Amino acid sequence: MAYVAVKGGTEAIEASIQRLQFERIQHQELLDVKTIMATMRGMVDQVMSESSLYSEFLAALAIKQAEGNMEEAVFLLRAHRSTLPRHYYTRVVETETMVVERRISASFKDIPGGQILGASYDYTHRLMDFDLIDESEASMQTWLEQYLVEEVAVSEGTDLTALPKVVDYLRKEKLLAEVSEDQTEPIDVTKRSLQFPTTRGERLQVLTRGQTGAVTSLGYAAIRGYGAVHPTVGELRVGKLPLTIGHPTDPSDDFTNDYYIGEIKVTEVESFVPITVQKDNHREELEFEIGYGICYGQNETKAIAMSILDQSLEFGRQGHPTQDEEFVLLHIDSVESSGFISHLKLPHYVTFQSKLDSMRRIKKESGQ
Amino acid sequence: MNRRRRTKILIDGSPHLARKLANVIEQNYTVHIVTEPHHALTMIKMRETAKKTLFYLGEVLVTETKVQIGQSFGIGIVVGDEEVLSYQLAVIDAAYEADLAETTNWTALLEEEERHIRETREKLEANLLKTKVNFEMMDV
Repeated sequence: MAYVAVKGGTEAIEASIQRLQFERIQHQELLDVKTIMATMRGMVDQVMSESSLYSEFLAALAIKQAEGNMEEAVFLLRAHRSTLPRHYYTRVVETETMVVERRISASFKDIPGGQILGASYDYTHRLMDFDLIDESEASMQTWLEQYLVEEVAVSEGTDLTALPKVVDYLRKEKLLAEVSEDQTEPIDVTKRSLQFPTTRGERLQVLTRGQTGAVTSLGYAAIRGYGAVHPTVGELRVGKLPLTIGHPTDPSDDFTNDYYIGEIKVTEVESFVPITVQKDNHREELEFEIGYGICYGQNETKAIAMSILDQSLEFGRQGHPTQDEEFVLLHIDSVESSGFISHLKLPHYVTFQSKLDSMRRIKKESGQ
Repeated sequence: MNRRRRTKILIDGSPHLARKLANVIEQNYTVHIVTEPHHALTMIKMRETAKKTLFYLGEVLVTETKVQIGQSFGIGIVVGDEEVLSYQLAVIDAAYEADLAETTNWTALLEEEERHIRETREKLEANLLKTKVNFEMMDV
């Protein structure tokens, strides 16, 4: 049997794309991009994070176009990102400058500045709210007016723009080792493909743009036995980070001449992981290592899971899968993993026929 | 007023202020648009807190505009899809670069807006601080 090249299907493909449009609008209901931005916070945050592009507007548009399909929305945004020029790099962002909206610790009850719950599903009953079916514009306005006009006395001087970091407090108390700033310029994984072993900067960049489900699952596996991490959340913060860039023609470090360009919302986590270390006197002592997690928007599970994987990859040397950087870093990217799995749907007629030919030949040779 | 403080006030504050200042310049001078408002990317460079390593968090969509007034250039850059604000920021930036007379009167307006931003923020913070936990020791 000879192989033949085939073509065709153009009309069928065009009709399929029309069918996709029909599926999206057949119920004659339209979802405004502004409505998605305003009401689908978790989804928008997740798409921005996995796309590695912070734009609530573009993420909402991608969600609309993809009909809420996350992997498709991320694919769209990544593709769009590749068409835009990158003109600037920000000044180094330090999370001490975060305007905090939520900040908790599972390690210490009394953290400097206090525990601020902010907005979270953690304290809800997770019961379906059937009142939302009949939620009206008027009831929304009434609730908002009551909430915002309520006079709140400022009882103490908690400055949410200058909350001390828990890790800094512990370093001052000598409970965590001091570390000096590493000035090594990071490698950008969007400019250079990963080469193993990776640098810490590359690992953090890949982890923060990882698919939420994949990062969470591998973080969970690292705790369950396919790793050796037993963390406690030292500090979890959600808040806004101010961004500045230097003047393009002013190479000095005069920050007052910078452009402030706005702010982005992130979730940041430091996890404390206990480890046993051998001291010089052959005694074993308990110490803590820090796992670091951060991602766009409010996505606490992902940021915690990232901190687990960061610690696992940074310090792991016991042969667990979650300590293997190739295993973790090459399988958590949404576009890469969904793209590869998805490509299995594409025509493999020639390669599959080749396999069938081999099978037929072997059977014939063995007289079956 | 330095550029960092000025741009923070103009971006975080009411959009009316940027519009008002840019309008004054447009009425009195010829503003040449060098680069129309357009989308671009800015890469965010960060320092993490565990090992204090530098890394790239990801990119952010910005809208950027470049204008020229006389021999001076102005740049307007702002996070998001903000064509109008980006243009106004560029005009104001060029006005400061050209040291135009109008800018001397702007400091008071910017400081007033800064006060307004601070008051609004304090009100929002006070509301948020209702969620601050007040632990009480239990008798066991």
